[in-house]
Amino acid sequence: MAERTRRRWPVLRLGIVGVVVLAVVAAAVVTAAVMLRDDEQDEGNKIIYGLTLNPSGFDPHIHISSELGIPFYSVYDTLVYRQPETFEIFPGLAEDYEISDDGLVYTFYLRQDVTFHDGEPFNAQAVAANLDRITDNDLDSGKARRLLGPYTDNEVVDEYTIRLRLSEPYAPLLDGLSQVYLGMASPRALAEYTKNSYQWHQVGTGPYMLDEVVPGERIILRRNPDYAWGPLYYAGRLPDGTVDPVWEANAVDTIEFRFYTDPPTRRDALESGEIQIVGELLPLDAEALAGSASIQTLNTRVPGMSQLFFFNTQREPTNDERVRQALVYATNRTAIVDAVFQGQSRVAYGPLASNTPSYDAALENPDSPELSYPFNPDYARQLLESVGYTDSDGDGWLDQNGERLQLTMVFAGWNQLPDVAQLIQSQWREIGIDLQLIQAPDFPALSEYADEGNFDLIALYDFGVDPSILNGFFLTDGARNWSGFSDAEVDGWLTAAVRESDSAERDRLYASVQRRIMERAVILPIRDLTNVHGYSVALDGVIFSAQGWWPLLQNFQYSP
Amino acid sequence: MTRSPIQRAPPVTLLAAGLLGVLLLAAVLAPRLAPHDPRHAVPEDQLQSPSAAHPFGTDYLGRDVFSRVLFGGRRTLGMALLAAGVTLLPGLAVGVVAGAGKHAAGPGPWLDAGLMVVMDALLAFPHLLLALVMVALLGSGTTQIALAVGVAGLPAYARVTRAAVIEGLARPHLIGARAIGAGWGGVVWRHVLPGIAPTLLAFAGVTLSWAILNSAALTFLGYGGDISAPDWGVMLADGRAVYRVAPWVVIAPGAALSLTVLAINLLLNGSRR
Repeated sequence: MAERTRRRWPVLRLGIVGVVVLAVVAAAVVTAAVMLRDDEQDEGNKIIYGLTLNPSGFDPHIHISSELGIPFYSVYDTLVYRQPETFEIFPGLAEDYEISDDGLVYTFYLRQDVTFHDGEPFNAQAVAANLDRITDNDLDSGKARRLLGPYTDNEVVDEYTIRLRLSEPYAPLLDGLSQVYLGMASPRALAEYTKNSYQWHQVGTGPYMLDEVVPGERIILRRNPDYAWGPLYYAGRLPDGTVDPVWEANAVDTIEFRFYTDPPTRRDALESGEIQIVGELLPLDAEALAGSASIQTLNTRVPGMSQLFFFNTQREPTNDERVRQALVYATNRTAIVDAVFQGQSRVAYGPLASNTPSYDAALENPDSPELSYPFNPDYARQLLESVGYTDSDGDGWLDQNGERLQLTMVFAGWNQLPDVAQLIQSQWREIGIDLQLIQAPDFPALSEYADEGNFDLIALYDFGVDPSILNGFFLTDGARNWSGFSDAEVDGWLTAAVRESDSAERDRLYASVQRRIMERAVILPIRDLTNVHGYSVALDGVIFSAQGWWPLLQNFQYSP
Repeated sequence: MTRSPIQRAPPVTLLAAGLLGVLLLAAVLAPRLAPHDPRHAVPEDQLQSPSAAHPFGTDYLGRDVFSRVLFGGRRTLGMALLAAGVTLLPGLAVGVVAGAGKHAAGPGPWLDAGLMVVMDALLAFPHLLLALVMVALLGSGTTQIALAVGVAGLPAYARVTRAAVIEGLARPHLIGARAIGAGWGGVVWRHVLPGIAPTLLAFAGVTLSWAILNSAALTFLGYGGDISAPDWGVMLADGRAVYRVAPWVVIAPGAALSLTVLAINLLLNGSRR
């Protein structure tokens, strides 16, 4: 009997312990599930959008990153828009505008039915508050101020009319006003937050409202239900102004942005359904996904500068035009584009991508090698020999007066520049040029190399529809003339082009600029920039603004 | 307890020693053994599978992976050996001084306490994190990595050395030796160190394994400086973008790395018996 009781007890005890353990585990699982759900309110139709870069700041009036426009282009409206395909100027917050005959005064007639997300009315005072903020020197605006060009001040004519005054004619003004950097923010929100904190509390008039920001982790946008003042090509409204029920049924209510800065992770995140859309896919991943049943890809061409390296024209040996020309001839750009980008973008022949207005196609003419620089290592070697570089000691490296031809190339980790740079290094090695590679960890570090002129070649880039982006880079006193280039005629053409409103004349002026830049080999162009997106087949209406980087979130349709 | 592991140890140890020898020799003789220049890119030949011309295939830029693994060993093992040196010499010195000082007269105990406070503060950080912080301060490059990894390993080595020295000094015959007037330095040098040498040597091996893995981790993360110089960590990082279509790009450097560490650990196992 005693035997049996003793044997039954352990079983009972084991049972009790088992029940307790199970209960604790169950409680833990429930708690964990509740905690993970936390504030999961009704998010409606939701997608998760992968960003490829975590910019140093998100305030479009201050910061310059193209990435910030991916969410914020849809938080703001701009006075005018550019049609994504034709690049035509469309009415935005301004229904209409007038330019004075001397090109010095722009009068904007504003829409009267627009309200900011915080309930503030949109009017001429609001536009004035934005312009005053951007031109305030204390703001340290990186790009917005530059886009305003020779803007001096504004005049509020009446509640819905504002004049912008310039000190000289400036043709690219409307282009600048169409970019997210000159998006119109709520004056109340601007006044409520400081220069640095506003970026986490942005308020605009756009189709999406900023709901939550966890820096470095996520940005959440929610659809603006009152939005009825988008440009004509924004979806969502029937011709009579009422909401399109077909569109509304699949409109995206909530968009969460997360960061996928490491390129190989993007395809995995897409395929696992963790995100519904991401840009800047690795070319091999884009190729693999092209055959996928659940993911589609879209290759968007981005107008603006081509992906290029600036030569330092201020220090030896790249201050010699013949050395620069030799280096361009020594670079097999077709091989680079085919191998690194799997042929998904076009070889570049000049400072502008070929889909930018005023691009000069004559640069590609194989009959003008002084412009198109067909790959020719023998000619490169001859040119270098004419300057005095030979392999006098037979060690395989070119030298002059006992000094080896050694160059330093600086670039950052994005756009597969490390691969491009390593291929160039290998190609130049063939003719005896010793190229040292320096990968800058981030944009501030890269700018430091640029500002100090501590490079022979440096990869820098800007985008935009208007060819006037060339001005800052190639004017003798240009703010971003990192190559230290100076050519009186180029200065004249560039200065005339921004004052010129006739587009044929602008084309002519910019063609001259592009040819001169290539004749004098100020840059080593590589390829036109493209951005390959991958997105779920359940997502439709994926289209990007004229500037190429920013999606029109309003047009997205998601039916999972 | 059976004696069989002891009996089995020598062949494994021999094998490990042989493997390590081959790997070291390959690294040293890389310039003579490598069939191609490790930086020479032939973009038309990108991602070729292993063949007679390219025993380990080619990478995304069409470079020979075999040559890159050979040259990569030079860089990775070179960095790790330098790092181990940076750990061992000061680590040994600090450990001996602190260990001998603990029960010595005069300022000894103070010295021990002071040194150990510093070492413990460093030990509070995970190994790799400490190395990362140091590389962030020193900048990218192989020397910087070796220094960072070396210093990060130092506190552990100093701690182990100190403990061994204290234990060694506590042996009865040494207490006796000190009682009859033998000097601290002499006792430690002549009697303690030879006794604890196997422990110190074994932990030196562990330190080297750590140094290899941590150096590779730091170059994997992009702190190696020259991006086109082959290095096992860099090769693994580069390979992540292409491993699905070209697994050889990551298998080769990954295997080299694992085999090296495995060989060191097996060798240690054997020598401890």
